Amino acid sequence: MFRIGIDVGGTFTDLVSVDAQGRVALAKAASTPADQSLGVMDGLDRLAETLGIDRATMLARTERIVHGTTVATNALLEHKGAKVGLLTTEGHRDIIEMREGLKDDRYNLRQPPPTQLVPRERRLGVRERIRPDGRVEIALDRDSLDAAIAVLKSQRVEAVAICYLHSWRDGTHERMTSEAVRAAMPGVYIALSAEVLPQIKEYDRLCTTVVNAYVGPALERYLNRLETRLREAGLRAPVLIIQSHGGVATIAEAARLAAGGVLSGPAGGVAGSQYAARLLGHGDLIPFDMGGTSTDISLVVGGEAAIASDRRIAGQRVALQSLDIASIGAGGGSIARVDHSGVLHVGPESAGAQPGPACYGNGGTEATVTDANLVLGFLNPDNFLGGRSRLDRRAAEAAVDRIADKLGVERMAAAEGIYRVINTHMTEGIRLVSVRRGVDPRRFAILSFGGAAALHVTNVARQLELKRVIVPRLSAVLSAWGMLACNLRCEVARTHIGDASRLDAEAVRAAFREMEAEGRQRLAAASFSGSIRVRPSADMRYGEQVFEVNVPLDHVDFGSSDLLRQMADAFHVRHEGLYTYSLRDQEAVLINARVAVIGELPALPQEPALPVHAAARPSGERRIYLGQWLQVPIYAFDALASGQMIDGPAVIESATTSVLLRPGDRMRTTEFGWLDIQVGPT
Amino acid sequence: MNPAVDPITVSVIQHRLRAIVEEMGEAMLRTSYSQILNSSRDFSTALCDPDGRLIAQAEHVPIHVGALPFAARSVHEFFKGRIRPGDVYLLNDPYRGGNHLPDLTAFVPVFDGDRFVFWAINRSHQSDIGGATHGAYNASATEIYQEGIRIPPLMLYDQGQRREDVYEMIVLNVRHPRDFRGDLAAMIGSARIGERRLAQLLGEFGSATTHAAVAAVLDGAERQVRAIIAGWKDGVYEGEAFLDDDGHGAQDIHIRARVTKQGSDLEVDLTDSHPQVKGFINSSYANTYSAAVVALAYLIDPHIPKNDGAFRPVKLKLKEGTIVWPRPGAPVTLCTNHCAQEIIEAIIRALAPACPDRAMAGWGRRFRIAVQGIDPRSEKPFIWHLFQARPGGGGSSAGDGWPGAGEWQAAGGIKFGSIEVQEVRFPLHFRCHEFRTDSGGDGRYRGGPGGELELVIETTEPAVANTAGDGVKYGACGLLGGADGKPHRYWLQSSGRPDRALKTKETGIVLRPGDVVHAHSGGGGGWGEPRERTAEERARDMALGFVSPEGR
Repeated sequence: MFRIGIDVGGTFTDLVSVDAQGRVALAKAASTPADQSLGVMDGLDRLAETLGIDRATMLARTERIVHGTTVATNALLEHKGAKVGLLTTEGHRDIIEMREGLKDDRYNLRQPPPTQLVPRERRLGVRERIRPDGRVEIALDRDSLDAAIAVLKSQRVEAVAICYLHSWRDGTHERMTSEAVRAAMPGVYIALSAEVLPQIKEYDRLCTTVVNAYVGPALERYLNRLETRLREAGLRAPVLIIQSHGGVATIAEAARLAAGGVLSGPAGGVAGSQYAARLLGHGDLIPFDMGGTSTDISLVVGGEAAIASDRRIAGQRVALQSLDIASIGAGGGSIARVDHSGVLHVGPESAGAQPGPACYGNGGTEATVTDANLVLGFLNPDNFLGGRSRLDRRAAEAAVDRIADKLGVERMAAAEGIYRVINTHMTEGIRLVSVRRGVDPRRFAILSFGGAAALHVTNVARQLELKRVIVPRLSAVLSAWGMLACNLRCEVARTHIGDASRLDAEAVRAAFREMEAEGRQRLAAASFSGSIRVRPSADMRYGEQVFEVNVPLDHVDFGSSDLLRQMADAFHVRHEGLYTYSLRDQEAVLINARVAVIGELPALPQEPALPVHAAARPSGERRIYLGQWLQVPIYAFDALASGQMIDGPAVIESATTSVLLRPGDRMRTTEFGWLDIQVGPT
Repeated sequence: MNPAVDPITVSVIQHRLRAIVEEMGEAMLRTSYSQILNSSRDFSTALCDPDGRLIAQAEHVPIHVGALPFAARSVHEFFKGRIRPGDVYLLNDPYRGGNHLPDLTAFVPVFDGDRFVFWAINRSHQSDIGGATHGAYNASATEIYQEGIRIPPLMLYDQGQRREDVYEMIVLNVRHPRDFRGDLAAMIGSARIGERRLAQLLGEFGSATTHAAVAAVLDGAERQVRAIIAGWKDGVYEGEAFLDDDGHGAQDIHIRARVTKQGSDLEVDLTDSHPQVKGFINSSYANTYSAAVVALAYLIDPHIPKNDGAFRPVKLKLKEGTIVWPRPGAPVTLCTNHCAQEIIEAIIRALAPACPDRAMAGWGRRFRIAVQGIDPRSEKPFIWHLFQARPGGGGSSAGDGWPGAGEWQAAGGIKFGSIEVQEVRFPLHFRCHEFRTDSGGDGRYRGGPGGELELVIETTEPAVANTAGDGVKYGACGLLGGADGKPHRYWLQSSGRPDRALKTKETGIVLRPGDVVHAHSGGGGGWGEPRERTAEERARDMALGFVSPEGR
């Protein structure tokens, strides 16, 4: 039986399969952005070909497919989501456009207001009101509801978001509204805030529900189409979609909770990093994924990826639990420019794939990070993408010279400047992501993936005083493998406000019990029957604070009579760990109770070790510029032997990546063929 | 550019300085205790050199930043020769570089070997600073002594040792000592992060290179700002803005700006402004300087670093005894809003003809209410500050104004928080909170609408309210032919009594159970001629409900 991981990226669709004996097969197909399922089916053909069987046989012998998709992400990023209507409590239809009063980019007062996912004429108040204690002050008024639905109907909306005040306490009015909408507008996509995010704080809940309605129809269409194609092709096993929080969900659930899939794509990389942490026996990693326009940075602490719930994606608030992935506007295509005062900037503008860096020869003339890397000798113009394309060194030099002229420096100084400024940005990205969570980055190893990353990480690591950098053999394999290793995770949350010293312990116990039962039910619905792990936690804070801290409650005894005291203690300890102090004389308030019900999938077989052979010799030599020109050896990544040691300066190249070892760096090849680099002194 | 240091190093250090102040701010946000800091983010972080030159600042509250150098200089002058590693200094006195009393500032000196080379600074608005009324805004005050505790340059930590007697004396003078202690610890922690990172920077690049690069960063910002100003037409420009009143009899209080633009220099002359007044709308010298450079910051390119170099082209001319430079002792607490906003408005109005595409129409004025009473559900006393019903932002050459984005001096930097949470925490019912139709000024680009709040008081005993603000008579100004935004209109509805308009500077308003506060805030000003607004845009205004058929 096979397990198959499918990672759809902007350019390529990567597939990996593993059989019961741990044998791995890989395939790659071009992505098909208009309908990603075509690229997936094409990729499955190629995967079957690699396995030497036909596709129907392969699918019939597949026990599970895990899939990361960028359909929801792209709908949001490219503003190509559904036409949404929003029903709110009468008198409160502007919550989403008020943004809690905030405007980013403080000193930019010449800036048009942001485009609304739901413009005001499609935001309609309905007469109803539930009070914070659950009392119904105004019963749902059918006339006012019918009038609102009539407007949405005449506007021909494709999706309806419903969010009433205090529905975190009682969702009855939202459910009644949903039934009325379904009856009046059959086929329309409906998102209820009481289902999407049943938590207090109306701005978070409403925005998340609107995003859900906005990306839901496209995601649902895609997933249904994919499932139909797969069933027709002979698949009987479940298809699981990787979620923003790093777990997976069934197709039906992923389509319903569409806002939970907006980070499905990058989540694959983080899942891969968690897998790498297990493989390496090093639990503290900084996954560092440098692409053409951006670098995604996250944290894996003790083998677990950090989770956040205060994210903005493409300017929209999505308050669901999600992997804490920071995207820095710095990549291989980032453009260098010199401002009026002679200061060099790199990014966030990017040359993208079209026209791309000047050295691609597709009409780009502006100097990018890739151009600088070529001028510095870090890239081999003849071996880019395994020799499939050549880089134009002259064009890169001309572009860098224009920057050099504006700075009044030599070409090499300008190229090195571009390299250093982009590294400064990425260093700051790591620092903010780690330090913001109260974590000192110095005990971490950087896990480098993405084609451009390994030319920069050894320098970034030095700036952060990090000692270790790891470069996996094939990053595509890493993401897809990680997907195969993902557990089935159901997140259930409930707002349950109160001072932990005065709440009714039995009520709290019951709430956790009910949430666990709900999670178990959802796992059963995904036809899961393996072993289940339950992880309760609580969002808590001191009385007057507004930032909650998520407190893991794994070690709390829920049967105990002093349950609430144990919860308060766990909170004080957690607060002290994060913020250096606790205030034990003050009340600890419970805001959200959470339960993650995790269906554990069997562990993956080990990645096959490299065959034993003698240490590889350099494949050649090249001049590279590290403050001065140095003649350094070049190695082929794929030829390295297990345990082989190489000291910097050196360059290690493969079809998809180049690795720069600086003077003082020591690299050892692991038994899996990964590069484990001890970073030299600054 | 300083020849001693290469442009690449300058670029790296400029980005690093920015990262340091942002990290200081992030730490503050996460660790502070009061809602005004951890939600509303009313604080700023910055680095100065010993001479008080502003090296870098994070983008938090614009009105704080220009005043910090005055405070840094005051502390340095007072403690000259006695500043040592591990020290922490405090200050809030507006007559020595504070904005107003609630804005407390912590300074941590940074050393290069045994040489004092930088200040790491955190300025945070305290939820209370003592004085006659809770939360510092006392509209009845006629002298600063009624506004809270005054802190001159003061040493809180002596080489790492906290001076407990001094600390307890300050804590004793504020109403919420528990929050105050937590917030002060967070401020000092944030400044110490700045100290640590600057020390790393010095270690990495060495003293000479770091200082040369800092000088080059400041010079670079100056060059960029001068290049922009030089593109404007030379001349003498005049602009005026008005406050309604000071709450003590003075009305139609003018701020008059006469701006001489020559080459790349700006002289801002405010000497012809209204004499100082009895009420708390006087602006301390540092606050006035800060307002003037905020006006400049809004007119230049938004991403130029706001540092000492950027502000060098501005020369300020003030006369002591006026509302923009009162004699010591006058009350000033409202000044970060009013008259700071009118100073900004007068300068931008003056310069609009010189740089019409850069000047924006007026952003809304502030009208705050603080309610205190007993919550019948918990029987505990509560105090609540109004941050809802935000006024609108002004239109500009880029388009319509931002709806409900707030006031000039914060420009969308302050948050109002969740209504659901407030209904849980306070005996208040938010019956309606939406944009206010017809409030934005008409123009080629319309002003953003203000807000409309209907708030029911659900106490069982009468509660008490104070107000602090302005702009019931004067709305946010229109520009280049655009119309003014509608001014605020707040009133109290109490059963069995006629509705009563709320004034902007009242203390001791009695709110009876069931009373309804109606807060209709002003819209932003319009930019450019209304006749140039297209028919499609007008149809859109109507469809969105930002403009009604009557308000056309």
